[in-house]
Amino acid sequence: MSTGSGAATFVDRYPEEASIVRQAFFVAFVAFGLGALFGVIQALHRTDILRFIPSTDYYTVLTAHGVLLVIVFTIFFLVGLFQWAITRSFDRPVEDIRITKAWLALMSVGSVVTGVTILLGFVDEVGISADVLFTFYAPLQAHPLFYAGLAVFLVGTWIAGADWFRSWLAWNAEHPDDRIPLQAFVVLTTMLMWYIATIGVAVAVLFFLLPWSLGLIETVNPLLTRTLFWFFGHPVVYFWLMPAYLLWYTVLPKIAGGRLFSDPLARVVFVLFLLLSTPVGIHHQYLDPGIAESFKFIAMTNTMFLLLPSLLTAFTVVASVEHGARQRGGTGLFGWLRALPWRDPAFTGMMLAGLMFAAGGFSGMINAGMNINYLVHNTLWVPGHFHLTVGTAVALTMMAGTYWLWPQLTNRRLYSRPIGLLQVVVWFGGMALMSNAMHVSGLYGIPRRTAEPQYQGFDFSTAFGSVAELNVQLAIGGTLLFVSALLFLANLAFSWGNPTTSGLGQTLPPALSGPDDSPRVLDNMRLWAAIALVLVALAYALPLGAIVADSGLFGPGGDAYPVTVVLNSVAVTAERLTASVGATLADVGGVLEVIR
Amino acid sequence: MNEGMVSADDGATHGDLERSVSAPPDQADVDRTLSHEEFDPKGTLALILVYFAILVGMWVFMYFVEFLGNGLTVVG
Repeated sequence: MSTGSGAATFVDRYPEEASIVRQAFFVAFVAFGLGALFGVIQALHRTDILRFIPSTDYYTVLTAHGVLLVIVFTIFFLVGLFQWAITRSFDRPVEDIRITKAWLALMSVGSVVTGVTILLGFVDEVGISADVLFTFYAPLQAHPLFYAGLAVFLVGTWIAGADWFRSWLAWNAEHPDDRIPLQAFVVLTTMLMWYIATIGVAVAVLFFLLPWSLGLIETVNPLLTRTLFWFFGHPVVYFWLMPAYLLWYTVLPKIAGGRLFSDPLARVVFVLFLLLSTPVGIHHQYLDPGIAESFKFIAMTNTMFLLLPSLLTAFTVVASVEHGARQRGGTGLFGWLRALPWRDPAFTGMMLAGLMFAAGGFSGMINAGMNINYLVHNTLWVPGHFHLTVGTAVALTMMAGTYWLWPQLTNRRLYSRPIGLLQVVVWFGGMALMSNAMHVSGLYGIPRRTAEPQYQGFDFSTAFGSVAELNVQLAIGGTLLFVSALLFLANLAFSWGNPTTSGLGQTLPPALSGPDDSPRVLDNMRLWAAIALVLVALAYALPLGAIVADSGLFGPGGDAYPVTVVLNSVAVTAERLTASVGATLADVGGVLEVIR
Repeated sequence: MNEGMVSADDGATHGDLERSVSAPPDQADVDRTLSHEEFDPKGTLALILVYFAILVGMWVFMYFVEFLGNGLTVVG
């Protein structure tokens, strides 16, 4: 290591923990690269611009894209970032590094098993596949290894959470009168939310989908597994988002040259996410038969309340950035924006991510409205929405955050800051094109999850322009995103070749309004967890009871769809789908999912 | 603020200013320190009002033009 002066980096102070963070990031970025490749294949395929896989493999690609990006990439980045945040903010090493290594290993093994099971869908001879998409509910059925891998992964995340709570308890014993540091507060509230959210998916997988896939039970109740999936499926989006929020609240103000505006407001936001993230999942099921409108209305009301912490975040984060700008000499009502460090890829990446999130907030409001949702349900609008949220607000913040974290974790400089800046701007531009095309296509009724949304004897009518123009826009956007992903990964790979340097250490400034300005009850994790559980019970007890009362735990019967579609058997599969439409009312929703 | 802040751009030290190591070396320095009392986030309020106006405008368009303005789609 060369000589230099400066504060110690995270890796200087906690080498073992830094190694864990790097390993988690490594898995995340491998998944990111693969997921991005599958993404561009889809963008070119469904727009019919370049098709080099058979359309039957499209669903393997789609499943791999979804699972690798929103399960593996986001959550491995999350556990890496949270480990950094816990160790850094408590300023203490992990209690037992073997446990920490164990959960990372469990998560990795689970991811590999699930990932390989999905990818085997490309090899028809093996007879193993899991073309069930990220939303893996019945009647779609995967090979048992898909569910088993997910279960192992999930157990890994639970142990990770327990590991961080253990750190908190140990720290608390030594600092009984101190407030929980904000970064640790984010980690603890997020993990409480995760424990509650994963009850749904754990029950769905362990009691229904896995035994069903193994042949231990004949049938499942499709509506029940869908509802249990969405019990998990909405809070998981906040699980992806919380690492981005952690970076926006605690790192972005520092990069902007300022300080967090209000620590108390930040705590309120994270408590609100813990309380409100889960009792809203039914808003994904507005068109599901078998759930009473009144339950859907409750889910919509809760969802609209969720706008509150997002708007509080918009205020607090922008105010913190403005503080930085004013300290850097910025003036005027809007002129301060010019004083910000726009040439810093970490800063610009996070700001562009935040801007996209604001746009995603709008399309999310449309999704969340019970009536207006009918306009966009199951159309390409929805992927357009979540590519703004998880695909940019989360993913771009993670990439930008990596540029800042990299020296702290490796003692190495970034290979190229200009390439980093180019990368974040290309991502923003690519997403602006792709997401805009997706939203507009959705308004014209073009479906999502479809390899060939081109139909004989039918044209989508457009208000202006043409579907062909939208397709070109989507394909160009998708290609730019893939190029941006490659730039990011290459920049990091080359950075690994940089020599180690000392003096790269950074510290994070305290908030303008610190934790002592807020009531201590905000730190009462037991209280918030209990209220969150009560809200979940209120939102879910009656609808779940009604679903089971209507069709039983295992449903009224019907076929599974092991979507091992091989070439030439599409017609057979379609026949089975059609034949089953009349089978049961509960099946209809699921079958439509398949068709769409 | 700024306690323990160290610049580390390309090996050069720029005093005790708070900087990002992923930022270019010539980034503008912090030239004043603003306390909680001295800082009034008016610019933030202005940006949020602009955002709110866009939100309302787009929602009105979506609801009245796209949603109510389109007829039923009947398939089959």
